[in-house]
Amino acid sequence: MIAQRTGTTALRRVAANPNAVFTSTFAKAAMSQMQTRQATTQKISATEARSILDAQRLNRPVSPHLDIYDKQQTFFGGSIWQRFTGSGLSGGLYVFGAAYLAAPLLGWHLESASLVSAFGALPFAVKSGVKFLVAWPFAFHAFNGVRHLALDLGMFMKRQQIVKGGWYIWGASLVSGLYLAFFL
Amino acid sequence: MASIARSSLLRQVATKPALQNSIIARAAFHTTAKRDLLPPLPQRVVGTVNDAAPVPPPSPSHGSYHWTFDRLVAASLIPLTVAPFAAGSLNPTMDAVLCATLLIHSHTGFQNIIVDYVPQYRTPRARKAAIWGLNAATVVVGLALYEYETSDVGITETIKRLWKA
Repeated sequence: MIAQRTGTTALRRVAANPNAVFTSTFAKAAMSQMQTRQATTQKISATEARSILDAQRLNRPVSPHLDIYDKQQTFFGGSIWQRFTGSGLSGGLYVFGAAYLAAPLLGWHLESASLVSAFGALPFAVKSGVKFLVAWPFAFHAFNGVRHLALDLGMFMKRQQIVKGGWYIWGASLVSGLYLAFFL
Repeated sequence: MASIARSSLLRQVATKPALQNSIIARAAFHTTAKRDLLPPLPQRVVGTVNDAAPVPPPSPSHGSYHWTFDRLVAASLIPLTVAPFAAGSLNPTMDAVLCATLLIHSHTGFQNIIVDYVPQYRTPRARKAAIWGLNAATVVVGLALYEYETSDVGITETIKRLWKA
């Protein structure tokens, strides 16, 4: 395809040169024998062209999307769990704060004394379960927060360190959560 | 167990064809309905293909200063959390500082979540509602924490008493 084109260009150049008499007659004869293809084209206005292009642009893929992430590689890496645990703890604080402020209007008792007596009346398993649901996210968020601050300073950035660090955080936070919930 | 084996089998099958094909195959294989997590909004065309990407005006208070401030607040929470245990006693001022820092940390954390998942260019109204809803909630919780710190025993002491209850 390209070789053919190169030949055509050379022939055209020769044909355009009026001084080369021999070659020009030969080239013109050769050009007259070449195949030509009449392409069917259609004149469209600029706005029509724009609308066709816009229709194509609407079909472009969306990127990035949640589908592209490999769950097994990054889901337990700790970054999104930092957000899960943090929003859980902060959400709890916000809900408690709003409820505490609304308590006098609604007739609830959320003072520390009534909270402690109500919580103390629960069976040991329930108490420890609730404690674990607070202690594990707290431990995870604290340990992983320190890890993230270290990562922000450019430390532990090797691939193996990142992968291992993520699992150490899970182990340490689960052990700490169980200790805080059941043995403290 | 069955689901683990199933997914690994499917992954072997799905390595060759494109992602779209594997999704279709999985959807056809499973009997439960396929639920897209946060499906993308319909696309719309803004400007021409030759427009340059808009460059936002540089704003360190929304950029690098904000980032550094976030890290300083997060780092200062470590000594504030450890202090009552290390000292063995509780200081009301320290507890109030801990509450204020926690509130700022929570507020900027929620802000980060909104900025990440409620984009300004796709959902401007939801973005505005979320940001102002968060501002209102933070004011309410700030007031509540002030009340709790001044008229009750404080956050740290409450958690201690609950833990020993």
